[in-house]
Formats: sequence, C-alpha cells, structure tokens
Amino acid sequence: MTSTELASYLKETQFIADLKSDTKNAVIEELLQPLVDAHLVKSKHLVLMTLKQRETLGSTGIGSHVAIPHCRTLSVSEIHIVAGLSRNGIDFDGIDGKKVQLFFLILAPPQEETNRYLPILGKICELAREKKLREQMIKAQDLNEFIRIIQKGK
Amino acid sequence: MGRNQVELLVLYHDIQSMLLDAKQEEDCMGFTMEGEEKLKEAMQEVERKIETRYLRTFERLKTRYSHPIVPVQDGTCLGCFSRLPTSYNERGRNEQEVFTCENCGRLLYWVA
Ligand SMILES: [Zn+2]
Repeated sequence: MTSTELASYLKETQFIADLKSDTKNAVIEELLQPLVDAHLVKSKHLVLMTLKQRETLGSTGIGSHVAIPHCRTLSVSEIHIVAGLSRNGIDFDGIDGKKVQLFFLILAPPQEETNRYLPILGKICELAREKKLREQMIKAQDLNEFIRIIQKGK
Repeated sequence: MGRNQVELLVLYHDIQSMLLDAKQEEDCMGFTMEGEEKLKEAMQEVERKIETRYLRTFERLKTRYSHPIVPVQDGTCLGCFSRLPTSYNERGRNEQEVFTCENCGRLLYWVA
C-alpha cells in the first residue's frame, strides 16, 4: 500500500475539516454520518454498535492525538474512509490519554477480495506515527492540502 | 422479530471477524487489545439473544464457510453469486426475515 493508493480512498464528501463533537461516541457518529448520508451504509445503528465493540476490544486511539476507529461490517459493500480533524481535540481514551485531533474512520466489508483493509489500516498507522506528517495533517485546511501531505509519506 | 434476528446475526458475525483480525492489528500495527475478554462477553450476550435455530444454522455453516452470513446485492447472494427468487428478495429486503440461500445455504443479509 503506497501513500498515493491510500489517498485515492479520500473524497471531498468524506473529509471533515472541523469536527464539532466533543465526546468519543459523538465523534464516531459524526465521522460515520457522511457515509450514511451517501447511502453507503446499510444500517447506521449496527455500524455504530460494531465500532463501539471494537473500542471495547481496545481503544483505537493510538496516541499522539490520533485515533483510527475501524471495523469490518456486513453493512458496507466496499471500503470507505472518512478523515476528520478536530481543532480543540477530543477525549478518546487513547493509550497516552492525549486529546485526539486527527481521525480516520475505516469501514470494510467482511468478504473483501482485494484484501485492502488491513494494509490500509497499517499504512494509516505508519503515516500517523511520523511526527512531521502527523503535525502537518492536523493543521491541514482542506482535503487537497491533506492529500498533499499524505503523499509526502512513502 | 425478524429484523432483530438478522441484525443480531450480523453483529455476531462482525464481532467474530473483529476477533480474527485482532492478532494482526496488535502484532503488526501496535493496537492494544486489553478488552478481548470483555468483547467475548459482549459477543456471548449477543449469542444468547439469537434464536437457537438460527444459531445452529450459523454454527453449522461456519464449519463449511468462513462467512456463514453474506450480503445480498441486486438480488444476488454474494456468497455463491446465484440469483435469489423474487419473493425472497421482497421479503428479505423489506421485512428483513431470516433466509438462507437456496443454492449455498448461507444466511442472507440484504444490503441493497
Ligand atoms: Zn448463495
């Protein structure tokens, strides 16, 4: 998975430059909403439940102001990513307790022949752990800038 | 009741997928998985709500397929790609009754 391939999953309607939520549950729902609005999700409440279960398994807040809520669900028929930024940061009980500003929501169908889901997840983790990229992503003003930053990664 | 049962089967399935991915997410990506026991308990809670006949079907299918429940899209079972009868499609889509594919036997979830 290259940064350019990853960037091809990002869409204007699936980028939220200024998240309004201030709690963990609310921000997960806010990130999911563009997919619901675009009818890309069969059942919003089922997906929310599954994402919540994933957080039970372990917080997807990976530290350094980044969280990557994700799950496989029968409710979608292809992989979808929503990226979002919070200017003030949101408590997400991540591993270092820091407020989260950079979010990637990833949904994937259980049966996924292209096998892209885990590589995408891995790539996002890798980029988000690069201090310089992460700091720039958090400050991005729009999707184009966000994508340009991602493409600076390997 | 139908809708509820289909959704429980979907949730049950999706939690199982999650547990299968957990190891790779932990080993290769550094996610922490301190809640595995808690999630298994949550899964058992879902399991208890599923009617025995559906659960039996699910478990029996699991010995044959990695995904005992599959999506239906455009009237087609995405497990075996056979077309489903029109009557199934209407009831499955609108009432979310629990159906199995006549061809492959998998449980069905209408997504479109
Ligand atoms: Zn079938």
